[in-house]
Amino acid sequence: MRMMEIVPIVVFFMGMFGLMTSKNIIKSIACLVLLEMAVIVFILGLAFRTGILPPVGQSLENVYSVADPLPQALMITAIIIGLAVTAIDFTMIINLVRRYKSTDWDEVKAMSTENFDEC
Amino acid sequence: MLTYFVLTPIVIAVFLYLFSSNKTSRIIAIVLQAVFTGFAVYLLLQTRQLGEVITFVGNYEGLLGVVLRADMMAAAFVLLTTVLFLVVSIYSLHEDNSKLFWLLMFIWEGILIGIFLSRDFFNVFVLAEVATVVVAVLIMYDKGKRSMFDGLVFLMANTVAIQFYLFGIGYIYFLTGVLDMQVAAAFIANLDREVLILPYALLMTAIAFKAAIIPLYSWLPKVQGIPRAPSAVAALLSGLHVKSAIYLFIRFQDVFAPVASTEFFLIIGLITAVVGVIMAVSQVDIKLLLAYSSTAQVGLIIAGLSIGDAYSYIGSLYHMINHALFKVALFLIAGVLEDMYGTRDMRKINGIFKKDKYIGIAIVLAILGITGAPLFNGNVSKYFIMSGADTVVNTVMILINLGTILVSIRFAAMLFGQADESFVGKKTAKSSDISIYFLGVLCFVGGIFGEEIMSFLFNVHFQMSFYGFIEKLIILTASWIVGLLVYRYVLRGDRNYKIFRRIRAIDLNFRGICFSIGAFFVVILAVVGFLY
Amino acid sequence: MTEALLLLWVVSGILILQEQTVYRMVIYLGVFSLITTIIFLFQGAPDVALASASVSGFSTIFLVVCFEKYYGFRDKPVRRKSFRAHFKPAQIAQGLAALAFCVIMCLMFIRFIPGGYASTYLMYQYITMFQSDVGGENAVTAIYLAYRLYDTVFEALMLVVSVVAVVHLSRFDELSFDDGEQSEVRHSKIAIRTIRCICSVIILFGIYLIANGHISPGGGFQGGVAIAVFFVCRYMIFNIYDIKINTVLKDEKIVFLGIILVAVFAIFLGVHQYFPYQHLPLFQTIYMLMMNTLIGIKVALGFLMLFYRYVAVDRRR
Repeated sequence: MRMMEIVPIVVFFMGMFGLMTSKNIIKSIACLVLLEMAVIVFILGLAFRTGILPPVGQSLENVYSVADPLPQALMITAIIIGLAVTAIDFTMIINLVRRYKSTDWDEVKAMSTENFDEC
Repeated sequence: MLTYFVLTPIVIAVFLYLFSSNKTSRIIAIVLQAVFTGFAVYLLLQTRQLGEVITFVGNYEGLLGVVLRADMMAAAFVLLTTVLFLVVSIYSLHEDNSKLFWLLMFIWEGILIGIFLSRDFFNVFVLAEVATVVVAVLIMYDKGKRSMFDGLVFLMANTVAIQFYLFGIGYIYFLTGVLDMQVAAAFIANLDREVLILPYALLMTAIAFKAAIIPLYSWLPKVQGIPRAPSAVAALLSGLHVKSAIYLFIRFQDVFAPVASTEFFLIIGLITAVVGVIMAVSQVDIKLLLAYSSTAQVGLIIAGLSIGDAYSYIGSLYHMINHALFKVALFLIAGVLEDMYGTRDMRKINGIFKKDKYIGIAIVLAILGITGAPLFNGNVSKYFIMSGADTVVNTVMILINLGTILVSIRFAAMLFGQADESFVGKKTAKSSDISIYFLGVLCFVGGIFGEEIMSFLFNVHFQMSFYGFIEKLIILTASWIVGLLVYRYVLRGDRNYKIFRRIRAIDLNFRGICFSIGAFFVVILAVVGFLY
Repeated sequence: MTEALLLLWVVSGILILQEQTVYRMVIYLGVFSLITTIIFLFQGAPDVALASASVSGFSTIFLVVCFEKYYGFRDKPVRRKSFRAHFKPAQIAQGLAALAFCVIMCLMFIRFIPGGYASTYLMYQYITMFQSDVGGENAVTAIYLAYRLYDTVFEALMLVVSVVAVVHLSRFDELSFDDGEQSEVRHSKIAIRTIRCICSVIILFGIYLIANGHISPGGGFQGGVAIAVFFVCRYMIFNIYDIKINTVLKDEKIVFLGIILVAVFAIFLGVHQYFPYQHLPLFQTIYMLMMNTLIGIKVALGFLMLFYRYVAVDRRR
């Protein structure tokens, strides 16, 4: 069974479910993190075998099962990018929280779009 | 060589940020930008000569490193990017923007050039994310309450969509073992069709979101309609940012040729165009009108690319460039008008000709371009798009053009009438006028020398037949007459129809956007997986 | 073992989904990230695990401190409503519809999963070539700093943009209402004592990660975050704020320019080819150390900005 492939997919769609239903902005962010982590685990797990070894050390070509180094390098980048985006998200959320004292999507939306209905 | 095309604007941006922010340094930046445009022309000439300019970043042979390739299409878009950024930075010269604005603008330029040149799946992901963040910060530049909220929705929704892209990259690497698009395409050509369905659907979901195709277009008007966002940003957003997504769409359709579903995107493109036109006609906000209109044009381009005819394909490519030119011009004009009148409500803006003749002429030029009047660039590209279509598609496209004409008439109606004296705000700066005129003249030149420019940019020799030209002219005249009649008897005056107010009130919240992303994914998966 | 871990992972995800209060959600998120980190270890990816661990640790501290300060969510009484009062029938219907839709998406996805084995076209090239091309003993760092340095440059650019954005967006000068009351945060004594003990270990760990990035798991990014965490700890213990934001912003940009400069001269111009690792290992080693250090400084400065920007924004006024 390709557990390492199917479980992240399930988690990914759990995150989608959270995004579709959550009323709280912070919860949406948490679901976004869920999504990102699921994709990263998925990509690293595509070539998963039990007892896989990290690609660190000398004369790796002689070792039987080494993990693929390329996805790992890529996923470090993906993690950093995810973090940078999340930081900006949080800046905006804190800005909104300071204005409205609320983290509810609908409340914040109602308050931020008032006076702009008919322009 | 290509690496420096991407890195130079970024280094200039950081230098500008670090060392000064006065007007002299901006002028230096604009001069550098002009020189850079010269280099882009040089790149285009090189690609014409060599066919393709390739850079292996770091000289790693094999596919170990990142590969940048510039073919004619990429070079043409790089040139377009540099020209538009030159124009826009001249336009914003007089505005009192901080150094942050200039930092982000030049970074954005570098990133867009990077997307056009990159042939690496993962590199495109990184660049797309940086571009998204840059756009989000630029549109939230004034930190108003509305912009903060819309920017948050934009950024989060983009992040959700890009996760699908990352998923797709995972499968591509799993199946082919490489990340280079060209080599992956060669591998993919030998693979089973069955295994390619999922990666294709995943990648296309993200691209459709970035390109603002029908169920996923709502972010574009949302961020372009933000009050007090810099006009330059709104202009480049639909002029270039969306174009970069369509460019990726073209590339991925090539890579996934065995599974690529052209009929689906033809239908989706036409629906997008129709919906965009309907939404645009019902707006009263000048920038929202332009935003929905660019959704319509994106639909037209996607449809043209998916017809499967060489004429339509090249016509669509040319239309991408043309649309960038006149839409940027229109958005910049909208920014000028907003400054002049202090409002974006089209019902309150009247009599532009009486106030400022020059802006009026610029508006006429841009509108003639977008409606496809003879001698203007829109005419050439729309002619070629339609020449490859069959009867049904052709009819729909004529209807779409009728809608575009209606939208333009609404826009042009601001030219006439009695100017309300109380609304006159500040005078436009000379630099803004120059930049808008430059674009207007480009629209005109692009029309007169349309075939020559197409042969120069894409190395194809198409001729418009005289008979077809006359036929198009008759259809266009009829459309204008119908449009004017409809405007005179249906839309004229300040009639505020209930249905228009309904349409204006349509607004997806964040949950809705996420739902539509998922829905698009399921639909494209089902179409590609079950219908073929 | 792997199965149990994955099960635990899913359960912690469900915990996040069902939680209604913000504070617990943040803690569950930390747990989720921790389990993810362990999964990375099982997948043979210690570099990713280190990156994930440092990021999730930093962001958990960050979230707790920030929301304590601005939102005060810990002070709010947790309202435990009854199920019926909390959910209206329409909501339940909506939720069920979304659930059904997600299940359909998931099943469709699994239906079309391509079979077969992973292609190892590039993998063996990397594993056999990296020691002669780049040197070092860590293939991931070799890819990260040499083969795909182009991506890394944009990743650093992303952090630059992110820091600039955060500084710009969190300038609340024009807001009129007073929000400086909650700025004094009192931390528990046990936490302070613990942090005091760990503090010095953290910075040593960070320096170790940077210095040994090319021969063992770790690297500039992971070490940089660890160093930033050290400064965060210092803030939490002594409650001092002695960083000038504009200076740090400028330094960060200069370091970024340095990264681009080194990248261009060492890799993009092809200079590294004249110094093959077998004959002249010094050049490559110096290059990797330098790059790791630069990235580490840049990341540490960036993360410090992110943290101090929120925590000390009121002090400045």
